Amino acid sequence: MNGAFAISQSDKRPMYLQIMEQIKQRIAIGDWTEGQPIPSIRQLAVDLEVSVITVKRAYLELEREGVIQTQQGKGSHVAANTGLGTRLREQELAQHLEQATRIAAMMGLRPKELEHRLREAGDRLAEKERI
Amino acid sequence: MRGSVVRGLILKDWRLQRAQIICSLCGGAFALALVQWGGETPIVVGGVWFFVALILVGHTLPLLGIINERKKQHLAFLMSLPVSYIQYTTAKLVANVVLFLIPWLTLVSAAVMLIEIRGVVPPGAIPVVLILALLPFVGFSLITGAVLVGETEGWGLAANVFCSSTYGLVWYFLTRIPGLMAHATGPSPVWNSTALIILAGECALITLLLGLTYFLQSRKRDFV
Amino acid sequence: MSDSAIELSGVGKKYRFFSLDNIHLKLPEGQIMGLIGPNGAGKSTTIRILMGLVHQDTGHVRVLGFRMPAEQVAAKWDIGFVSEDMRLYESMTLGWHMNFIQSIYPNWDPAYAQLLLKRFGVRAEQKIKGLSHGQRVKAMLLLVLARKPKLLVLDEPTTGLDPVARHEILRELTNVMADDGRSVLFSSHNTQDVEQISDQITFIDRGRIIDSMDKEMYLDRWRRLRLEAPLGIELPALPGIVDVRQEGRLAIATANAFVPDLANAYERAGVRVQRIESMTLEEIFVANVEHSREEVGA
Repeated sequence: MNGAFAISQSDKRPMYLQIMEQIKQRIAIGDWTEGQPIPSIRQLAVDLEVSVITVKRAYLELEREGVIQTQQGKGSHVAANTGLGTRLREQELAQHLEQATRIAAMMGLRPKELEHRLREAGDRLAEKERI
Repeated sequence: MRGSVVRGLILKDWRLQRAQIICSLCGGAFALALVQWGGETPIVVGGVWFFVALILVGHTLPLLGIINERKKQHLAFLMSLPVSYIQYTTAKLVANVVLFLIPWLTLVSAAVMLIEIRGVVPPGAIPVVLILALLPFVGFSLITGAVLVGETEGWGLAANVFCSSTYGLVWYFLTRIPGLMAHATGPSPVWNSTALIILAGECALITLLLGLTYFLQSRKRDFV
Repeated sequence: MSDSAIELSGVGKKYRFFSLDNIHLKLPEGQIMGLIGPNGAGKSTTIRILMGLVHQDTGHVRVLGFRMPAEQVAAKWDIGFVSEDMRLYESMTLGWHMNFIQSIYPNWDPAYAQLLLKRFGVRAEQKIKGLSHGQRVKAMLLLVLARKPKLLVLDEPTTGLDPVARHEILRELTNVMADDGRSVLFSSHNTQDVEQISDQITFIDRGRIIDSMDKEMYLDRWRRLRLEAPLGIELPALPGIVDVRQEGRLAIATANAFVPDLANAYERAGVRVQRIESMTLEEIFVANVEHSREEVGA
């Protein structure tokens, strides 16, 4: 289950953040689903070969963000309605829009023109789906 | 639980040192066989080798068994076991003495029995043989004490050199004691006061040396 | 029974050219503590004192609830100790050593021992003198790991090992942590290893403990701030900053008690904060030692 986890020391970010991100990723793309139990803190620490305290911190932060829930004596599981999937898509959309705006500016297009292009793209997609 | 660790340590020493014991037994046996061959030269050569075998084992046991353990840094490994320093020292002392007694008792009793039974050497010499055979035991005790208490190779070598160079002198003076040599060629052993006093003195010296070693070791607090 | 695996309070030891001073150290049960410090700092001496091999001059030592060195024999039944200067018997095989240990300790696990032989890539029939340095270290670790002691005390277990061997050892150490009743104390130069697997970090230099705390908290307190001070503006002296290096308008400030307000304080003084970086344990190690030596006036 933890095969694809990779904690890198050369990654400048703290280990607990890396762990958090990789857990959130799995939830966002749907590999880990709502309510699914996740490894205990100690078990994950052993699997990743990192200190227990680091995993504990990651779990605490994740719980604070509402991504996971921990029940005393029962372990931890993925929280309901993490909204991570949606959040991920929102992030993606925001990135793409920013990029599009930047390129348009470089080309000298006015915002009206960009809007027009966006509508055209939408129509093309609808065409394709009809066929 | 305690007993088994000390026993484990003693068995360990046997396993590590048994080659020396066996060599000494073989060498001593060969020397005795040579004496039995008869004739002045074989008796003298065999006789000397007999004592050399005792001296060698008496010296190499503490030098190799004890000092090497410290020099080669095995001490930290042993100290990680559930033993105190005093238990370790006791095990070392006991093991060393037992390991020495194996060849010493065997060879000395064999020598005495051969003298009694075969008489190639006159039985009157038995007291002298015993007195001379106890010298390596004294040397062994001194060197063992020096290496356990002194803890360095230097002390061991100093004791080694001291003993090696004094054996000859002691032999010389012992053989000059008239009360001793007068009956040495006789047909039966004579246990006069001279012989008994010397024997008792040697045994006391051995006991004193080993006892002092144990006492001094028990006052140490740190091992490494 | 206390809940600390190791507790040192006010421990001191004087040698001719070196002394250990007022050592306070606490390792809660179920955690791993990394002990770091430069050569000659006193790591080995501290470890020897807590193993009962050296008698402290002052202070109290409790390991697994036992007073040391008075109750060391009882304690050592449950402690596995490996130090870098330890040697096994060259002419004997690893198997002989395994049997020797097995004859003494009742909780030797033969199945786990076999597994470790495989994982470490050593064979019981091999004589110690035929093993490389890395294999000898692994052999000694095998001898303590297979009896599953409550406390592992390791003096530089990964020093001088190749990356593969180091990884094998780290993996076994983290495996130990699966049991929350077992604890580990290890000393190391390798800050990467310490940073990765320690729960607690203790810094020691010149016979004194400089820092001893939770690793995550510790890493959070240290930051490097890259600053740009316009001409004529002097950098303010702020609390929590231990070092400032300046060249022209650019400066690097090292903080050992970072709070977000620190960056604001600079901004308020007219200094621009370009970047705030976290520091690796190695960078912290060097900065910490330099800072503490300055403070002592060394």
